[in-house]
Amino acid sequence: MDGQRAISRRTLLKAAAATGVVVACAPAGGPAPAPGGGTTGRTITGTVTVSYPDELGKKPPYVQQAADALKAKYSGLDVKIDLQKIASGDYYTKLLLALNAGDVPDVIHVGGDRIGELADAGYIEPLDAYLAQWEDWKQYPDAVKSGVTYQGKVWAIPYGLDTRFLYFRKDVFEKAGLGTSWQPKNVEDILAAASAVKSKVSGVLPYALYAGPAGDSGTANHAFIPLLWAYGGELQDSSGKWIGDSPATRKVLDYYARAYKQGLVPNELLTSTKPWTAMREKVGVTGDLALLFEGGWVYGGWAAKDKAATEKNVGYLLHPTASGGPSFTIGGPGTVWYVTAKSKNKDAAWEFIKTWNSKETVAKLNVEDPHPVARTDSADVAEFKAEKYLVDSTESLKKAKFVPPDPNFGKVLGAIQKATARAATGEATPDDAAKRYTDDLKQALGADKVVTQQ
Amino acid sequence: VTVGAGALRPRSPLVAGPLRRNAPYLAGLSPAALLLALFFVGPSLWAFYTSFTNMALVGIDAARPRFVGTANYERLLSDPDFATVLLNSLTFVIGSALVGQFVLGLALALLIDHAERRGYRAATFAYAAVLLAWVNPTVIAGFLWVAMYDFFFGSLNVGLGAIGLGPVDWLGSFPMASVVIANTWRGTAFTMLIFLGALKTIPSDIYEAARVDGANAWRRFWDHTLPNLRPIAALTLLSITMSTFGTFILIQTLTNGGPGIRTETIALYAFHEAFRSYAIGYGSTIAVVMLALNLVFAVLYLRWSRARA
Repeated sequence: MDGQRAISRRTLLKAAAATGVVVACAPAGGPAPAPGGGTTGRTITGTVTVSYPDELGKKPPYVQQAADALKAKYSGLDVKIDLQKIASGDYYTKLLLALNAGDVPDVIHVGGDRIGELADAGYIEPLDAYLAQWEDWKQYPDAVKSGVTYQGKVWAIPYGLDTRFLYFRKDVFEKAGLGTSWQPKNVEDILAAASAVKSKVSGVLPYALYAGPAGDSGTANHAFIPLLWAYGGELQDSSGKWIGDSPATRKVLDYYARAYKQGLVPNELLTSTKPWTAMREKVGVTGDLALLFEGGWVYGGWAAKDKAATEKNVGYLLHPTASGGPSFTIGGPGTVWYVTAKSKNKDAAWEFIKTWNSKETVAKLNVEDPHPVARTDSADVAEFKAEKYLVDSTESLKKAKFVPPDPNFGKVLGAIQKATARAATGEATPDDAAKRYTDDLKQALGADKVVTQQ
Repeated sequence: VTVGAGALRPRSPLVAGPLRRNAPYLAGLSPAALLLALFFVGPSLWAFYTSFTNMALVGIDAARPRFVGTANYERLLSDPDFATVLLNSLTFVIGSALVGQFVLGLALALLIDHAERRGYRAATFAYAAVLLAWVNPTVIAGFLWVAMYDFFFGSLNVGLGAIGLGPVDWLGSFPMASVVIANTWRGTAFTMLIFLGALKTIPSDIYEAARVDGANAWRRFWDHTLPNLRPIAALTLLSITMSTFGTFILIQTLTNGGPGIRTETIALYAFHEAFRSYAIGYGSTIAVVMLALNLVFAVLYLRWSRARA
């Protein structure tokens, strides 16, 4: 038989089978009751499974180290590590299917922006009872704590926070006559600089602005949301309703339309699989992309290859606003560790998380995989303090805005992807794309959770 | 089956005649029927059931799914993207299955059959080349075409660059044409194989007689080859239409439905809703509609094949 048909049918069947599993195994109620009184006086034995995705290779030694430390401390405990060498988005889908089927690891490792939807689904365990007995929790600033708090409970412990920068190639900007110490006054300056690069420097892509589903969460976090804030817009109003069509939404989508129409952004961003892999490489290493707003952590990969060249050629800035107001960035809790609600060994799971989040591990891992540290005392570790980039990153968080944990973020992400794709491909005018953004939000969240602004 | 047939024959005289007569066949069919029920009918029923719920993989709907009646179907009908998705599927099926795989597969089969009848050795190589495209796993085929179309490093643009042209953003500017070409390349071998087999069943003396009667090559093809291929053509069309309608991995690898939703087909749309938006209920609704459309195709083709055969 035709291999193609066999596979596509099998895939469909899998989808159908999965839906069956969902029905059979959906948990009956909300989260399980919180643990009684932390770990004091209990013996930690049995097995604990730690599941996490990693493609970069920086985390595994630290996970192993924490696992070894735990085994040394509790002789009756076995720690199983389930390392999945796949992209975090693919891991998340796999994990959700497993969680839904009730086949759960004890500790999981997922982006902190998923807290709301995971908690609502009853997949994760609140940690407040454990935290009450954890001395080190006071090392975490309130802003960091609030980033992992949902419905009054703390659900995860962050270690490396997310910040983002507008990266630009100094060598390319020099050739384009923009100088190496370029400072955009407003968002229009970004497009103006991209135009200058396009007309004056050949063989270099001017700008990468993620759009559509191809950009995954980068479409929201590295493009749409910072632009929305730059134009004075917000994702939600003060009552927590999501804002669809608004003057700022229209301006952002107009910005998209112009950037793509003028050929400042390569269209292939809309079709490639994981376009960020190529774009990060181009701006940081090969130098054939001039401008990119991206995660602060990607700097680490470039510096690891050639630190001197990276410092010489790559500039990093905060995001400008439309009106020339103070620049800002978009912060986030980063990837965090959770204890699953169905874990049979929650105490051991917590012990793992606690051990991992030591002052030293948090500092050292974030030197290798550069993120601002979640624990304030980790910033005092000498290796961390010695890196100017890390100090700047940590500093940038003072100007960061955060996306609040909301269970609907994933659905909003889908609507953002559709809206940006429509504007970028010219399928809809910016105004129409903004209207359809409202429709998509209403469709996904319910009409009562969406508002528009004139 | 031959071993089991006697042993499985019901002994009771109370069993009705037809059942008794058919017992060996029923016994022979039951493993297949069981597997079909387990892996096809069962999941289909689940999907049908799920399509009336708001089931999700995350959020409150994951913890407490509930019945929503026909809300998912209403949403699908008012979904402005759905028309585009259906149109994309239609374009993709007509382009890559009917025009691409079917016509090209038939043409290749005729050429190779002709060459083999004449004893040309090269026919084997042509045969092998077409077959190679088909034996690849779909993901590999997808990546081969990514390597062909890639804007920066793709063979097409490197080739164009060598003669001072391009680069062309193939997947961005001509997404549907690009996936249609890739899927045609990928699936032509299936049609070719079937037709090659069918061509071999046409006895040579028919052609001898036609030649004696003074029929030229075109008349021989039109009067003898084509009518002999008709029944098999209907089945081939049915099978490639359905498989192309459900094609998913190749498009996902090449464009992931993009740019925007310009190559988003119904199969991909169902997958994206269920596993990217984690809306299992809505994804199932799309899958159910897709299943219904496939049934319509099946009925149409089978009727056509019976009418002509």
